[in-house]
Amino acid sequence: MAISNEQMKDMYVKMRRIRDFESTAAKLFAEGKIPGFVHLYLGEEAIAPAVCECLRDDDFITSTHRGHGHIIAKGGDLNLMMAELFGRETGYCKGKGGSMHIADRDKGILGANGIVGAGHCIACGAGLSAKIRGTDQVCVCFFGDGSTNQGTFHESLNMASIWKLPVIFVCENNHYGISMSQDRHQAIKDVADRGAAYNIPGVSVDGNDPLAVYEAAQEAVARARAGKGPTLVECKTYRQHGHFEGDPAIYKPKEEQAAWMEKDPMPRYANFLVENGVMTQEEVDAVDAQVAKEIEDAIAFADAQPIPAVETAVVDVYSDIVEEVRDR
Amino acid sequence: MASIGIIANPASGKDIRRLVSYATTIDNNEKVNICKRIVLAAQGLGVDEALFMPDTFMIGYAVKDSLEDDGVLEATLGLLDFELEATMEDTVLATGLMVERGVGCVVVLGGDGTSRAAAKAIGDTPMLSISTGTNNVYPAMMEGTVAGMAAAAAALIEEPRECCIHDKKITIFVNGQMRDIALIDAVVSDDFYAGAKAIWDPERIRRIVVTRCHPATIGFSAVAGAYEIVEDTDDFGLAITLGTEGRGVLAPIAAGVLTPVHVSQAKKIALGEEYSFVSDTRCMIALDGEREVRVQPGDEVRFVINRDGPWRVQPRKILSRAAELGMYDIE
Amino acid sequence: MKMMTYAEGIREGMSIRMREDPNVILFGEDVGKFGGCFGVSMGMIDEFGEERVRDTPISEGAIIGCAVGASATGLRPIAELMFCDFLTVGMDQLVNQAAKMRYMFGGKISLPMVVRLPAGAGTGAAAQHSQSLEAWLTHVPGLKVVYPSCAEDALGLMLTAIDDNDPVMYFENKVLLSMKSEVNSFEPIPLGKGKICREGEDLTIITYGKQVYDALEAAEKLAADGISVEVVDLRSLYPLDKELIAESVSKTHHALVVTEEVRRGGFGGEISAIIGEELFDYLDAPVVRIGALDTPVPFAPVLEQYYMPNAQDIINGAKKIL
Repeated sequence: MAISNEQMKDMYVKMRRIRDFESTAAKLFAEGKIPGFVHLYLGEEAIAPAVCECLRDDDFITSTHRGHGHIIAKGGDLNLMMAELFGRETGYCKGKGGSMHIADRDKGILGANGIVGAGHCIACGAGLSAKIRGTDQVCVCFFGDGSTNQGTFHESLNMASIWKLPVIFVCENNHYGISMSQDRHQAIKDVADRGAAYNIPGVSVDGNDPLAVYEAAQEAVARARAGKGPTLVECKTYRQHGHFEGDPAIYKPKEEQAAWMEKDPMPRYANFLVENGVMTQEEVDAVDAQVAKEIEDAIAFADAQPIPAVETAVVDVYSDIVEEVRDR
Repeated sequence: MASIGIIANPASGKDIRRLVSYATTIDNNEKVNICKRIVLAAQGLGVDEALFMPDTFMIGYAVKDSLEDDGVLEATLGLLDFELEATMEDTVLATGLMVERGVGCVVVLGGDGTSRAAAKAIGDTPMLSISTGTNNVYPAMMEGTVAGMAAAAAALIEEPRECCIHDKKITIFVNGQMRDIALIDAVVSDDFYAGAKAIWDPERIRRIVVTRCHPATIGFSAVAGAYEIVEDTDDFGLAITLGTEGRGVLAPIAAGVLTPVHVSQAKKIALGEEYSFVSDTRCMIALDGEREVRVQPGDEVRFVINRDGPWRVQPRKILSRAAELGMYDIE
Repeated sequence: MKMMTYAEGIREGMSIRMREDPNVILFGEDVGKFGGCFGVSMGMIDEFGEERVRDTPISEGAIIGCAVGASATGLRPIAELMFCDFLTVGMDQLVNQAAKMRYMFGGKISLPMVVRLPAGAGTGAAAQHSQSLEAWLTHVPGLKVVYPSCAEDALGLMLTAIDDNDPVMYFENKVLLSMKSEVNSFEPIPLGKGKICREGEDLTIITYGKQVYDALEAAEKLAADGISVEVVDLRSLYPLDKELIAESVSKTHHALVVTEEVRRGGFGGEISAIIGEELFDYLDAPVVRIGALDTPVPFAPVLEQYYMPNAQDIINGAKKIL
């Protein structure tokens, strides 16, 4: 099915939202407004919006430590996200999760995840659940090249394959596992190759082109929904920043960084839309302005939210038990 | 000194056709293995030097390290030195450099797209294309050892072109400007972006121009081939227009996919003859299977077929010639 | 009243809920056609089919992770690890995922999942198939831990574990599997409720699992010496029935904690510390812990028996206190 102009615009809006959210998070982190760690999706914006364009609201995703982009693409609320990054009581996780643990069960977001390779198994569980409950929901598992050296990646691809689970494994190959470049951390170049070992179709597309990602994701989702089993879609992209904010990324060659900045998905896609008359430059500018406003509002919202009452620390460990507050 | 060039494209064999059809998957480590077999066979027949294109998987280094570790490398293994762009341009540049260095044959591992890129710079040097990818038309499925021997023969014998076919190629012009070439087919599709590059949906295909076509090869050229066969030796090509009416044919448009298609018009195109149309919509022209050239409404698109493509080594023929010349005899 | 083995109690608990609720499923290594490594799920595949009694590849991470994902999206899965020793392989999914998701996500997700964990020594299975690792799990906020000692408790605790909206770690002792006992109730047993297996006046033995029987044997022998022993079977390690412990210890003024685990860093230490901190005024003597040797579980039967605590060790411990 060909992509509509509306969908192309929607992908742009989400890409812009992610770009601005992440740029802002970088700035706020540098200013000390955000505690802890943040891992940014900058440079990878073409992937999650294109994949999520193929999903329904009741489909599931699992995410990673680099999760803001996935959450925004699946419809996450910017205000609640920003409030969570600020550690506020009314944030997505009531200030208990932070950047690495944002989830929204109602939107099918089964959580960002601080453990590399953990989402693969959870995605299999969501796929199994859809199958047992007899729905045609699917689960997209987002992950990076680094996680494909974890045992869970291999366990999960195998399990998804033998059970024909409706899971789409989307590898965002940003060419780094923390500081270790892909050619140092694995003896393959195309993660898609690993599909063959599990009898799963593996395809590799330009991850900086949302239309290429969309085409592959569309086919993979259709396959999963029809009960034909999992697909491995590798999207080649680049992590424009360090592993986390504050990482100067001295291990990245300057020429490599420069070459990938040339392929930055944002201007590339905006130019495409304008050149082909999908959007006018005025419309693009209007989206940019609207998104800038959304981010501004999210910061204002987050700033105005209460800091968690310390007593809430003992709540939500269990569904029915509140832990005792005691001297530590 | 006899030398050969080896171009191996690490990006071939992973595109979306694995998802929309039943296409072959071949991983890069197997490409390394094939290259090892080529080098060993070529040096066995007397080739002194093999030149590799640099690539992002560093296939050339892997081959060199492994054969050196095994203590079996006798030929000189050279790696061309230039900065990679990780695009088709690397292949064009590498082919040109190999030709400049006077290699006797360039072996190309990859799909139709890789051969197309090499063809842009190959000139009169014999070329041997091996398929590592998506069930292609131009490159042949061949054991690396045989390919290495054939390449060696091409580099060593006096008149290798007598054992080659001088291929046709299509040159594509948009509004009078030369835009690109194709070795097998140029396909006009309703898309207006490159997306996942490959084309697979027959509903979006409008026209197909081929240098040669046969139902025994798969892809969109097979649609023309199912309609009428054009051999590589024929001094003409074929242009067909698809529609909802006209003669229906069943064609293997992708690996494992036979699809009914209607050919509303067909026209033989003699060498040198122009075939053109003015596009009333925006569309893409896929060259040898990949969306490459974007066309805007009102653009005039022109195709010209000539016998100015690569000199394609015929492995059986050249290995027979080698036998006649006693190349396998030992003292 | 019905006589059932401990294994049948577990199986009946699972089956009752699986008959009532299509969202309850069982999966793990060889739980289906093979009937489970110890035969606990024997025949269930015939009743419920291979979709719901599902054999998995040998992939402990994916097994527990699958339970996490399935429970987060509408199922109530029971995942079996063939031996609790294999927890090591699936520990991330349990500790960093299952245990923490509700909390990390601000209480907005529930993980109603059960992980079955066959445990304990006494089968000659040596160091990697015999451990008692309950302390690893009681240490993790977010997990609930139960450890039945008889068929009725196995059944009732299984019902509760399935009904619970949090991940419940269900230990089952391998040596007890074939032991028959009376089942009078087919009702859920609330978590955090221990029971008194034998009433006594002079000493409280706090224990669970297989050690309940060693404790009862010791109590019988001590009775011959005129020492009256009360045996408390905790059944549930988290939540923990502190009230029952307090009630008993405040009556007997002496506490002996008996567990099968390696004593160092064990759950027995936690119970002992709670008694020391909260019931010190009632104690007439220091709390004593009985546990296995601080070694891996040895293979040769004579070594394995030497490694494990037994009734005589418990008697010796009691005599140290009194």
